[in-house]
Amino acid sequence: MAGSSMKSIKLRIKSVESTMQITRAMQLVATSKLRRSKERMEMSKPYASISREAIQAAILACGDKSVPYVEARPVKKRCYIVIAGERGLAGGYNNNIFKALAADAGDTPYVVLPIGRKAIDKYQHLGIETLDQSHTHVEGISVGMCYKLVKRLTEGYLDGAFDEVVLVYTTFVSMMSQEVRVERLLPVEPESEPAAGHRIVQTLYDPNPEETLMAVMPDYLAGRLYSAACDAFASEVAARRNAMDSATKNAGEMIDGLRLKYNRARQGAITQEITEIVAGSEA
Amino acid sequence: MAAVFSLQIVTPDRLIYDGEAERLIVRTLTGDVCILAHHIDYAAALVPGEASVVTADGERVAACSGGLLSVSDNQVRLMATTFEWQDEIDLARAQRAQEAAEAQLKTMSADDQNYALVEAKLKRALARIRTKT
Repeated sequence: MAGSSMKSIKLRIKSVESTMQITRAMQLVATSKLRRSKERMEMSKPYASISREAIQAAILACGDKSVPYVEARPVKKRCYIVIAGERGLAGGYNNNIFKALAADAGDTPYVVLPIGRKAIDKYQHLGIETLDQSHTHVEGISVGMCYKLVKRLTEGYLDGAFDEVVLVYTTFVSMMSQEVRVERLLPVEPESEPAAGHRIVQTLYDPNPEETLMAVMPDYLAGRLYSAACDAFASEVAARRNAMDSATKNAGEMIDGLRLKYNRARQGAITQEITEIVAGSEA
Repeated sequence: MAAVFSLQIVTPDRLIYDGEAERLIVRTLTGDVCILAHHIDYAAALVPGEASVVTADGERVAACSGGLLSVSDNQVRLMATTFEWQDEIDLARAQRAQEAAEAQLKTMSADDQNYALVEAKLKRALARIRTKT
């Protein structure tokens, strides 16, 4: 009896150990990827912030003239760009993104432009229209790919296929925390009016603000998308590292507990044998 | 020394240049423009072409495509889709891209959806080749 429980404990220790090996390997992979992805994220930031300022300035310069990228219209349909992971095992990383989208969408019908295999699978499973299924890898996304995606977005937006473009991704706050962001890309919201007393700058636009804005908008969007993808990938790797770190720790604790149990069972078996032998010799 | 302005050149994947410059020439929708120090506030969209930056160390040429040039208060920002200094250009690759784009254009009609896309590719390739040679 004692022998069989010892055997089953031993088996469990083995299985936990092999799981721990996997989680530890994944943790190491994530750690080594983290540095590179963080660098890439940092390098993509200047463009995103500078182009944002320039676009805002151009919108102000347009004044009352209507530019389709800025004008808000009643939202009949939204387009969500969802940047999720390629794989799971990253704690709540993917789920948090989907939850945030569901909360934001409410009752408005929407289409999805998924990036990352998990996002593609999720929305195909839900039966929601997806614009593209080819971008399974967030890690390998290039600026060129972002331009192609943006082209589809701007075409769809200008044709009226959807009235709003919203980006859902995870931003890297620190190693320990990553936050889901829901940001509206189109129409572009003019940020606050220039503060009172602010010098009204007369900028010369060549040929004029509207055309400049129309020409530059795809660049701006592609820059935002690229920067978000880099940000999301760094977050994914960090989330995975944290998840695997705690999984490895838990596995270690579990093994310690099982070893204790195993030793007790072994001790129990020995004691019982001795008792039996002693009882036998006395008889 | 000539008067300088501060210049930032960025592409979506990196910050290429951040420092002082004396002169900048880029191609915009309406033609080449030259920016010197104390230029009035100015903004224009870029098209593929050659760009030249003059700094205290001399002139550097680059192939630049797409994006926005913005000047505000002696601070010049060049947001380019691609920006490659002359010595970074891969000539063989640009020539291959040129041939591929030309072959594609021959088989397309002018109202094809992708015509503009391929044409832009050709322009970028030509700008790179022109800068390099």
